[in-house]
Amino acid sequence: MDRILIIDDDEELCELVSEYLTVEGFSVESVNDGESGLARALDGDHDMVILDVMLPKMNGFDVLRNLRQKSKLPVIMLTARGDDMERIVGLEIGADDYLAKPFNPRELAARLRAILRRSVVPETAGGNEALDVDGVRLSPASRSATLEGSELSLTSVEFGLLHELLKEAGKIVKKEDLSETVLERKLSPYDRSLDMHISNLRKKLGPRSDGGDRIKTIRSVGYIYTVV
Amino acid sequence: MKLFLRIFLWFLAAVLLMVGVVIFITRTFQTEPMESRWQRSVRNQMSIYGGTAAQIAKTQGEQGLRDFLSRLTDVDTPRRVALISADGNTWFGDPSQFDDSKDVVARSLSSGGVETDAPADDVTYGASPVGLPDGRQFALVLKWERQPSPSLFFGSWVGYTRLGGLLLTSLILCYLLAAYLTTPIRKLRDATNRLAEGELQTRVETRLARRRDELGDLARDFDEMAERIESLITSQQRLSRDVSHELRSPLARLNVALEIAKQKANPETQPILDRIEIESQRLNDMIGRLLTLARLESGAEEIENNKVDLAELVRDVAADADFEARAKGRYVNVSETDRCAVVGSENLLRSAIENVLRNAVRYTSEGTAVDVSLTRENGHAKILVSDHGGGVPEPELPYLFKPFYRVGEARERKTGGIGLGLAIAERAVRAHKGNITARNHNGGLQVEIDLSVPKS
Repeated sequence: MDRILIIDDDEELCELVSEYLTVEGFSVESVNDGESGLARALDGDHDMVILDVMLPKMNGFDVLRNLRQKSKLPVIMLTARGDDMERIVGLEIGADDYLAKPFNPRELAARLRAILRRSVVPETAGGNEALDVDGVRLSPASRSATLEGSELSLTSVEFGLLHELLKEAGKIVKKEDLSETVLERKLSPYDRSLDMHISNLRKKLGPRSDGGDRIKTIRSVGYIYTVV
Repeated sequence: MKLFLRIFLWFLAAVLLMVGVVIFITRTFQTEPMESRWQRSVRNQMSIYGGTAAQIAKTQGEQGLRDFLSRLTDVDTPRRVALISADGNTWFGDPSQFDDSKDVVARSLSSGGVETDAPADDVTYGASPVGLPDGRQFALVLKWERQPSPSLFFGSWVGYTRLGGLLLTSLILCYLLAAYLTTPIRKLRDATNRLAEGELQTRVETRLARRRDELGDLARDFDEMAERIESLITSQQRLSRDVSHELRSPLARLNVALEIAKQKANPETQPILDRIEIESQRLNDMIGRLLTLARLESGAEEIENNKVDLAELVRDVAADADFEARAKGRYVNVSETDRCAVVGSENLLRSAIENVLRNAVRYTSEGTAVDVSLTRENGHAKILVSDHGGGVPEPELPYLFKPFYRVGEARERKTGGIGLGLAIAERAVRAHKGNITARNHNGGLQVEIDLSVPKS
């Protein structure tokens, strides 16, 4: 059973979410402030964290920042709706996904499953061999990536996106396909999360040795990982 | 600046007018009477000298008269003396100095009394008959050459210096006075502008507020007003932000509880729960937009200075809107997109265009397309979004961008709008120093977004 840690100061909400997710087949523990939430997350008893931004004692961003120094534990952030800054900051610090609050619990469950599936090392073959393109090395077996020999710290979504793009390096990968294979949801209009993940990935990869963008946007179609 | 110039010129005109009046008054009421007084004194002196000369001629003879006349001539006054007969013979004095005295001599001899004459401005003759002991009749003629009374401003370097000094002093004083009066007004105006642009913490400079005159009062009143407006607006903004924020927590719980209920629901209650979900989603959207609006209005939203490719943005949003519109049998048609980039926040601009476009999709009649175009001219990017939904009554056009404004209650309810989209678009565009306007065009509403394109 997947063990979920909810860090949110709204106790009643935590109770309800626990009840819902338990029925959906998760085991849930909830903590109501940032400090103890971070401590629990670092204990390594959980597979996944649901993290609210507004928390007493230590806000969600600080919790995430501290957590990321030691752990790659998947994190889904609950941000205020309509606040793009929170979303961008969250993804930049290393959240795997975000959900605007108030959220739809079905959506929450679906995303939890998607992220958990991704973070588990796939046992079967099929796109499992290591990829090496222009100094970027990606090893799906260990879910690690290096750039010119130094380790890249990627979230699971970024890893998935880079994996898909590298597999098809030099070819256009459609947005719809990326959304379905990596985010495991249908691309909906006005949804900018894919663009944001790609933009973070671009920042982490930096420009190519000849100064060009490694990942190019093909407007309203998709993305292409360029090869020299 | 206009007021400054006006005050400056008015005061300058007043000073010049005053100088003019002084000159005029001096001329008419001081110089003229002085001349008539002089004429009188000439007459008086003439009768004294004439009488004395006749007396001396009678008692002391020709030699005595000659001595007396010499003494008269020697006295250090601006006058000349002559004794002239009716036929012009000069018995005493320099005849060349008395060329034009014939007339006064003749008049004096014939009347037997004192006569005066001023053939020129600065020359006056006085004549009085004197009989010599031998019976010959002469006239004693005195000629005064008047020193022109010195003019205040003209005719000498002292006068010109005086005039120049006066003009220069008045120029400087007028300038200082105008500056003294208009500087505080300009500062107040700057402060008012900044306040109107949403810088609520604007206060007039303290130096101005310390003035002890009416302008100082005005500055203090302004500060008081700004203080009050700031506290009113911030508390109102905080209220709407807090309320929206607080509404979210119960809504989040409601969503989860609803889902738990759905897990346990039977087929009969399922549709009702779905309905509850739709309504809570609506509530949620509305709160999200309210928060966006509150943030935009408070100016808390930092406007980034990124280069934003408008053409790409418009095509992107139009593609999304088209996708959404097709599900309802409507279309979005991008007619032209000139290449242009503006500086600002991509997210805000995206939400502005998106809100306008979705609004148009909502109102355009089934089977019609919303037309979108982006044109660039004279350093301005113009985005036009036109629908075919019958437009809006002309008097209501100006209110379209007000939050929660609804054109025709029924129409809005049916289409599911919440009346915040255009308000958000307007705030977002205004945050980029742009303009958004709406008009009726070709049986529909046309919204125009105007942004300035920096020169590259």
